[in-house]
Amino acid sequence: MLQFPAWKVLLVLGVLVWGVIMALPNAVNMSNAPGFLPKNSVNLGLDLRGGVYLEMEIPATEVISSRLEVFARDVRSAFARTSERDPIFFQPELRGRTMLIKLSRPDADGNFPVEDALRRLDRINSPIEGGLGGGKTFDISRAGPDSILVGVSSASETAMLQDALNKTMTIVRRRVDPDGVAEISLTPSGSNRIVLEAPGEPDPERLKDLLSRDGRMTFNLVESSPAEIASAQAGVLKPGFRLLEGPETGPLLVREIPEVVGSDIATASQGNDEANRPQINFRLNANGARKFYETTRNNSGKLFAIVLDDVIMSAPRINEPIPGGNVRITGSFTIEQAQDLAAIIAAGEMPAKVQFLDQRVVSSTLGEDSIESGFRAAIVGLALVAVFMVLAYGLQGMFAVFSLMANVILIFAALSLVGATLTLPGIAGIILTIGMAVDANVLVFERIREEQNNGRSLWTSVQAGYERALVTILDANVTTLFAAVILYTLGSGPVKGFAVTLAFGIVTSVFTAFVFTRMLTIFWMKTFKTKSFAV
Amino acid sequence: MLIKYWPKETKIPFMRYRYVGVVLSVLMMIASVYLVMTRGLNLGVDFAGGSVIELRQTEQVTVPEVRSRIQGSLTVNSATNANGELVVIRFGDLDPSLLGPEFQALSDEDKADRASAASNTYVVNALKQEFNLTDADILRNDSVGPKVSGELFREGMIALGVATIMMFLYIAFRYTWSYAVGGIAALVHDAVGTIGLFSLLQLEFDLTTIAALLTIIGYSVNDSVVVFDRIREIRRKYKQMPATEVIDIATNQTLSRTFLTGGTTIIAVLAIVIFGGPVLQGMSVAMIWGIVIGTYSSIYFAAAIVLMLGVDINRKPVEDTPGFEAMP
Repeated sequence: MLQFPAWKVLLVLGVLVWGVIMALPNAVNMSNAPGFLPKNSVNLGLDLRGGVYLEMEIPATEVISSRLEVFARDVRSAFARTSERDPIFFQPELRGRTMLIKLSRPDADGNFPVEDALRRLDRINSPIEGGLGGGKTFDISRAGPDSILVGVSSASETAMLQDALNKTMTIVRRRVDPDGVAEISLTPSGSNRIVLEAPGEPDPERLKDLLSRDGRMTFNLVESSPAEIASAQAGVLKPGFRLLEGPETGPLLVREIPEVVGSDIATASQGNDEANRPQINFRLNANGARKFYETTRNNSGKLFAIVLDDVIMSAPRINEPIPGGNVRITGSFTIEQAQDLAAIIAAGEMPAKVQFLDQRVVSSTLGEDSIESGFRAAIVGLALVAVFMVLAYGLQGMFAVFSLMANVILIFAALSLVGATLTLPGIAGIILTIGMAVDANVLVFERIREEQNNGRSLWTSVQAGYERALVTILDANVTTLFAAVILYTLGSGPVKGFAVTLAFGIVTSVFTAFVFTRMLTIFWMKTFKTKSFAV
Repeated sequence: MLIKYWPKETKIPFMRYRYVGVVLSVLMMIASVYLVMTRGLNLGVDFAGGSVIELRQTEQVTVPEVRSRIQGSLTVNSATNANGELVVIRFGDLDPSLLGPEFQALSDEDKADRASAASNTYVVNALKQEFNLTDADILRNDSVGPKVSGELFREGMIALGVATIMMFLYIAFRYTWSYAVGGIAALVHDAVGTIGLFSLLQLEFDLTTIAALLTIIGYSVNDSVVVFDRIREIRRKYKQMPATEVIDIATNQTLSRTFLTGGTTIIAVLAIVIFGGPVLQGMSVAMIWGIVIGTYSSIYFAAAIVLMLGVDINRKPVEDTPGFEAMP
């Protein structure tokens, strides 16, 4: 216990020097330092630097019902040849997570050809995406003498949610950070949740507006007369048309089936019109450009509505065929609105409308306040504990204070090494560790004191003190480490930061209190031939 | 140095009063449970859902002004942080009539899901309008929906449960099950007592409180383990000594350490209470109280229960219980 060969001393000092180098960027700006030195300081959590934390959920039912809707369209187009006179004519009816298909007419014998319909439906039922078991996307079964139920198996639901989650993550990133420069973090959580952390963003409402739009972009031909609009407003709608409104255009009747859709758009960006007012430019892909050209060629003189989430953005008149697929929307936008709309259009349509579950916003001023509070509390805590230890144990207390400082440095070094995030509760964890780290020293010192009181020599007492206290120190610290690990695994957000600093603090404090203090003590005893510690 | 004024060998007959201690502890636990059942806990937004908004207090923005100019049932208080006074506004789901026609058009299910977020938006907009504020003036704006708050509470409770089981297994592995029962009894005592204090003082109970409770649990077991270690050691040395005396000697010998470590930890946490700002206040108050009763319970609950269990359950003198055998 009392032997410190040169290699051991070098090792301990090496760890400390490494700690200082790693922790240094937290104290001074290292951007001009030589290349081999680390430059990364610990990451500050959102509660210390300010920003927005948003947790959102993709509603499972909505994902499934929108997939069923698509399937219903597939069913309709696959049976497009069948007519009202065909015995297998379908009437799909959506009911949340399931869809009921009714056969419209019995055959000559008075039976509904359900078996035949099941066979034909099975052919258009695709396998689960990315699934290996060969299961089909939809469970299709007979539900009665004339009806068929389409449901979704749990394996298929998992695949659908996974797909929706991936798509939504991509869309969220493209909408929030169209240029790919912002320092945002997106983390999936569970099967259908996403956590968005945007440091430095002051306005949660803007983010929520950006993310709560469906982003369903369509180009629909307008065919409406004032009389038709009036009758549609009275509730009599021309078949195959929808009544939509727009802030610039007022109510218009547009064709239900769009000519060009959002997936035909290649890029979108904010630009300026001739009068230097913000507008949205976008370019269609080859397929979209062709459709756009054909529509404009065949419908000269009509209005062509650009519709986003069922609101008419603008409805310019078609004067001539437009080739090339470059389109723009003009209107009275602010630059920011035009940028956000361009981001929404470029990102594409959300698989389902997200719901916001949990929102935490901290301004950067409050973050600075918190850093200041935390720093002040840490300095005062450290000073008080140091004074207490020196008053209680004198010289030995001084050794403990040195190792306490080494401990704080090592905590910062460890945090920087693993790129952990420091939060306000994390600072509390460091302060708590300062208080608890001396426990190991106290256990040893008390042991030495007892041994000295029993009449043993200093060397034997110190030897016995460290030897006997070791098991207790390990036992006692393992239990706190358990608590920290559980907190890290199950906790969330800032509390996780507390668990991280507490865990690192426990590990480093055992090293500093048990190894570093011992080395200092022995070095002192050898140098000054100490006979006894004044305790 | 000051430690030399600490008596060299205290001989406090702790175990003579063990029944008093156990009865006191049980009474305190009953009182805590009773308090939680009658007064309840002051759940923060993490667990209750709803919103909390913090503004910097200025000449215009004051607690009474916010109360009088913003409609809806809001709880407005003041708090202090490093750089001045804050106005803290709390609210749950506001009256739907305030939330605009768009909200009222939603289905009942959607209303339940979105009321919290819509209330938050309403208050933020009202504050911005009434006091001419920008986003930067809103220091904090947390809004937790009903789904997440329920989950966070459940997860917190699971964390406490898992921690307790892990501690039990660890002590049982290092000592014996009767020590494990003693250590866990002390841990539950400390956790329940701390929750009781939160109910009594109606301190805000939130995620950081769970963190504090887990730390207290760790500290409590830490404290008990130090005493247990000493009991084992003394038992090995003096095989014929009655168990009561063994425990008394062990607690007396570790007494100075118990007080010193408790002291330094409380000093450090006290610095957080005074300088750490409002976010950490509840957490650090909980920790101080937890350390105080944790120190007490490691002697009067953990050790006392080990003494009782060793004697009663094995129907043998305590000397022969496996707890006192040397570890291999």
